[in-house]
Amino acid sequence: MEALFYNADDGYLEAIVRGYRGSILNNTAYINLTQCETLDDVKLQLGASDYGSILQNEPHMSTSMLAQKCTDKMVQEFEYIRAHAVAPLQQFLDYMTYAYMIDNVILLITGTLHERDTHVLLDRCHPLGVFDSMPALCVATNVAELYNSVLVETPLAPYFMDCLSAEDLDEMNIEIIRNTLYKAYLEDFYHFTQSFGGPTAEIMAELLQFEADRRSLNITINSFGTELSKDDRAKLFPNIGRLYPEGNLKLAKSDDIEQVKATCDVFLEYRQFFDNTAAGSSKTLEDRFFDYEVHLNKKSFQQQFHYALFYSFLKLKEQEIRNIVWIAECISQGQKERINNYIPIF
Amino acid sequence: MAAIGDEDSITGLLLAGIGHIDSHQKKNFLVVDAKTPLSTVEEAFQEFTKRKDIAIILINQHIAEEIRPLIDEHDQAFPTILEIPSKDHPYDPEKDSVLKRVRRLFGE
Amino acid sequence: MSGANSRLAVFPTRMTLSVMKQKLKGAQTGHSLLKRKSEALTKRFRDIVRKIDDAKRLMGKVMQVASFSLAEVTYITGDIGYQVQESVKNAQFRVRAKQENVSGVMLPVFESYQEGTNANELTGLGRGGQQVQKCKDTYIKAVETLVELASLQTAFVILDEVIKLTNRRVNAIEHIIIPRYENTIKHIISELDEQDREEFFRLKKVQGKKKEAAARDTLERESRQAAEGHVDEATSKEIETEIDTGVLDAAMAEPSDLLGGDDEDIIF
Repeated sequence: MEALFYNADDGYLEAIVRGYRGSILNNTAYINLTQCETLDDVKLQLGASDYGSILQNEPHMSTSMLAQKCTDKMVQEFEYIRAHAVAPLQQFLDYMTYAYMIDNVILLITGTLHERDTHVLLDRCHPLGVFDSMPALCVATNVAELYNSVLVETPLAPYFMDCLSAEDLDEMNIEIIRNTLYKAYLEDFYHFTQSFGGPTAEIMAELLQFEADRRSLNITINSFGTELSKDDRAKLFPNIGRLYPEGNLKLAKSDDIEQVKATCDVFLEYRQFFDNTAAGSSKTLEDRFFDYEVHLNKKSFQQQFHYALFYSFLKLKEQEIRNIVWIAECISQGQKERINNYIPIF
Repeated sequence: MAAIGDEDSITGLLLAGIGHIDSHQKKNFLVVDAKTPLSTVEEAFQEFTKRKDIAIILINQHIAEEIRPLIDEHDQAFPTILEIPSKDHPYDPEKDSVLKRVRRLFGE
Repeated sequence: MSGANSRLAVFPTRMTLSVMKQKLKGAQTGHSLLKRKSEALTKRFRDIVRKIDDAKRLMGKVMQVASFSLAEVTYITGDIGYQVQESVKNAQFRVRAKQENVSGVMLPVFESYQEGTNANELTGLGRGGQQVQKCKDTYIKAVETLVELASLQTAFVILDEVIKLTNRRVNAIEHIIIPRYENTIKHIISELDEQDREEFFRLKKVQGKKKEAAARDTLERESRQAAEGHVDEATSKEIETEIDTGVLDAAMAEPSDLLGGDDEDIIF
């Protein structure tokens, strides 16, 4: 049934996104990029792609500038889609921006705690995570005020409500707050997508579950040897994903990477992340996560009439920017031997 | 230790743990970007050279270039000024104040 | 060679002469000592310069690797710059200065040490934490290299200063102090010689006069003897004593004469 009415509302946008997908750099373009000797060569190579127009007017190339411009481009495309979206899709897209909002809010909280000039902070926020009341956050001078008057106005308010009190903001490590929020967000997003049913629910479930599991694994591994207690660690695991619940329980009790490995051994897809003997073992765990994410996102383009494709597009685009910046970084710093560590998309 | 540099260099150095904020909220590092006025850099540099608890000042070479006269003027052994390369500006030994002196001593 | 003609304003006596000679000797010893010190320092200096050159190049590489690892972090975690800057509280990485003795020159040596807790421990908890830690380690290593380089550079500046100072001293001794002492000694000797010659001449003169007087006396006595027929014994004895005293005077001047002769040996 869904497929029947899909095109009435979202057909145009799906077509647009599929069009955008066509502009994602392919393998040949990457190979050409890796052959470049200077950043100007990179510019020349990118000139043939969709990025050509945005780089044209930049006399001086630097990697940070490149990253900035590419992000702008991505945001522009996303905003276009969002502007044309109607009810359920619009909400879906909004949900996607919440992840960036969390980062922005955390940034602002950090800034407020240290009494920084908040206008500088606003410049640093990710453009996708900008929301209307954000400048208002800058008004708050202390954390309690921030919480009571401003944060409740933001779309993130429910996440804050659920898991944090004003006192927590003062005492807790900012990273823990970030991860708590992210956990709440992931769970919420997951339940939201499941309400659609059909292919959207199916594909998004896979994507978000992986995202959740990746976070759980990362938090576990990164908290080894830190002051983060096992109980606190367990609280940061999202309650979705394939590892949930028994995998998460085991992760919460793990003391070293071997135990994490053992936990993941049960899951066929995750086993390979820790398989160091496989070909291309120079890749780190994170690289493999990225690899798998790209793989999942690519898969979502193989179905039609669903929303997951918008999510996947954004993620792939992000990965592409990372790739380009990585290649540019390798070139500008003369680290050619690592240049092939990017993750090809198509 | 103190540091003056672009954002990436400072981030790295702070990751290594050289950052310090004392009880007067004074930082021992300065992030310089395209908008930072030269006078701020000069002030920070002079403040760092006067502080007693600083033995080494790290400064990005391209920033050092801008306040070269100040650096050349500084002839005390304490604190030591060290010019470090930054991400976007590879290291050029020709410009280093100390190496210039070395060259003057042996080169001519 | 401004000191070529200058000399100390001293009174030319034998006492000052010997004092001056001692001083000259001291200056020469000091000169050779300082010269040796300067050579030792220069040797060390050249070592350091070579090391600095190497270290600077190494630093270029190390910093590149470090900033590359930061790029890796950015690739995975995103921009962490602001967060890192904000979480700064106390310096974890510090340096302390120690001293090292090189030929009597105190050279500071920086030594790094870790203290306190890691402020960025939880950075990138959800993503890229390992990269952050790896990057941190890389940067710590890079900073250690920097600290080492800083020691070398400080040593370089101080040694440069000290060598200049020593060389100045060596040159001062060689070109001013030693010539000045030599000039003074030469001057004293020539003055003393002058005095000797005057003295000698005076004695000659006195002796001549005495001989004249004696001759006159003898002549008178002879004429008187011729007149009176006999020599008055008492008178001749008196004359003899007079001559004796003259000889005695000459003898008293003799030792200084001998010394003067010695001096002349030195000079010529």
